Amino acid sequence: MADNGKTRLTAADVVAGASTARAGKLGGNPYLPEIATAIEIIQETPNIKTLRLRFDDPAVQESFSFLPGQVGQLGIFGVGESTFAITSKPSEKEFIQFSVMKAGEVTKAIHNLSEGDKVGIRAPMGCGFPVEAWKGQRILYVMGGIGSAALKATIEYTLEHRSDYAGITILYGATAPENFTYQADIDDWQKRDDLELVLTIDRDCDGWQCDVGLVPHVLERMNPDPANTIAITCGPPIMIKFALMSFQKLGFTDEQTYTTLEKRMKCGIGICGRCNVGPKYVCVDGPVFSLAELKELPDEL
Amino acid sequence: MAIKYLSADQLPAFLSSLAEKTRVVAPIKTDGVVQFQPWAAGKDVELDVLLAKQSPKEFVFLQSETFLKFGYSMAPAAEDGEGEAESASESAIPCETVDVEALNEAPAQVIFGLRPCDARGFVQMDNVFGGYGGFYFDPLYSARREATTLLAVTCREPRSTCFCTAIGGCPAGHEGVDALFTQVKDGFAVETFTEKGEAATAFAGLGDASDAQESEAAEVKLQATGKVDVPFALEGIRDNLHDNIGGEGWHDLCMRCISCGTCTYVCPNCYCFSINDELVESTGERYRVWDNCFNPLYTEETSGHNPRAAKSNRFRNRFSHKFWYYPDKYDSLLCSGCGRCIMHCPTRIDIREVLRVMGTPVGTTPAQAIAAPAAECAAESTAAPPALPVEATRAAPASPDGKEA
Repeated sequence: MADNGKTRLTAADVVAGASTARAGKLGGNPYLPEIATAIEIIQETPNIKTLRLRFDDPAVQESFSFLPGQVGQLGIFGVGESTFAITSKPSEKEFIQFSVMKAGEVTKAIHNLSEGDKVGIRAPMGCGFPVEAWKGQRILYVMGGIGSAALKATIEYTLEHRSDYAGITILYGATAPENFTYQADIDDWQKRDDLELVLTIDRDCDGWQCDVGLVPHVLERMNPDPANTIAITCGPPIMIKFALMSFQKLGFTDEQTYTTLEKRMKCGIGICGRCNVGPKYVCVDGPVFSLAELKELPDEL
Repeated sequence: MAIKYLSADQLPAFLSSLAEKTRVVAPIKTDGVVQFQPWAAGKDVELDVLLAKQSPKEFVFLQSETFLKFGYSMAPAAEDGEGEAESASESAIPCETVDVEALNEAPAQVIFGLRPCDARGFVQMDNVFGGYGGFYFDPLYSARREATTLLAVTCREPRSTCFCTAIGGCPAGHEGVDALFTQVKDGFAVETFTEKGEAATAFAGLGDASDAQESEAAEVKLQATGKVDVPFALEGIRDNLHDNIGGEGWHDLCMRCISCGTCTYVCPNCYCFSINDELVESTGERYRVWDNCFNPLYTEETSGHNPRAAKSNRFRNRFSHKFWYYPDKYDSLLCSGCGRCIMHCPTRIDIREVLRVMGTPVGTTPAQAIAAPAAECAAESTAAPPALPVEATRAAPASPDGKEA
């Protein structure tokens, strides 16, 4: 049934008559990862690495597509899987990219990978940001630390479709200069004149020429006009909490304000039960939620 | 559908005929505990104890199930010659490969002697694993479920902890049941509801039931239905749980909970699971195991942040899941009223009390039992109204009909 792990198993393979069962997503075994190989590993910060991975099956690599904001399960056989935002450009055809902060068992093992090593990927999962519906509006990204990973693909998408959006502003904060991920991209963004970029660090240090201050404070100093603007935030939970309060203070409505959530996950497909916030599963109903949607849910973030 | 009759002394022969073709699972008493176990000739099926300690869900949704096997190996070096091995390994880039195999065994099996609430538990899990409403299809559970035939036995003597009729079930309910066996004098009246049930009961020892046996079975069902307590009104529970989400009551109710998770393991509907990997040298497996939402680690994140760190939040999650979150997704309930969680809770937490307190409108005192038996049961008791237990008859205005059926 399984041919080098590439063949998807269907219920019909194992039980006659099961093909009449309700048709489901993926049509096969949603627990079976696709094998991929690490082709490039970038040390972004002292504890964050970006991995570029290519599916071993060329047909899978070629047909792979995702929406900005969607996530995937990246796993190492023998250690386990964890959920990460897909950080490649949605138009990227050569590889799929994740950025991973070293924190627990799985992420430690991911950090130990070398180019050429094998991983398992189940992706894409969840809902992306409604980038189509945002056409014509200004987009304001407010992110901190590794939260940039969750917004990276969306930033890239809106930059690739720059003429569809009225403006793009990125406020990006980190504890210290060496903790900014995507330094190469930041250099590119700084050179663009169709993009406003504000970088901030928590405490001033020698040689730093951009802003100093916590992200919500800097955001309020920037005083962005909420008119025709979508505000998106991601970062540590405490930063998200205060950024959402700042948006409200600045006059952004709940419908204009978006974030993307993180939860402990196992199956990633809305079955195993743990990533719920009230009646919503972060893995299938999210991870993207508007503030209006979040306010409908129990306070279990 | 004509009702058949199987005499009690023919039961072992009937099960033997099934066991020739498939695995047969039945409630069997071992060391004083009744559990569903694989049946073999010579083992007595225990039907006098109403509920086996655990539901038979573990035969379809396994406690532990390996679904991937994998093995790492290094790609063979370009040269195989002994003397050149060293230089080959220096020049060639080491290339790791991993072979992954998906497992999904689904042996045909017949589960005999489960109760209608147990069968309804499978139907409720079918929604989750079967992709109801456009969600993902789980091939592991679904394959086993497809290969499983459920031969349920009517509950003659419901326990004081039973409340199936309060939530749309019935001691003789046939939701998810392939064939229903109702104990009558010296045997069983047998009704089939599906092709699987037909196939499983195609046994020479089954004859047509006599009129007397048919009416006795109807009477047994009627009597049993009347004996089931109706401890709360289902109507409005979902909305009231929603409105009570911040209620103080959760804190009070969960005080004596010790987060052991027993209620989730004995529940015929609880389906949460975890996934783990094991690796020994270069080969390993990925498996899923039952999990329980009362365990703080269930939601604890690597950072140490826990969205349900408080016991009251985890407690609230379980009951809200069954009567609010799940219904929102699957248009049904995640409880079939078997009462096992009440029987086995070491601190006597009672789901009926929880629903009475948190399932009533904000600011009102918990109502007494006010639901009517479900429509299905009511329909089967056309001749006379069911003899409701004293507590239930005392209850105030019955809702007009079995709302949830």
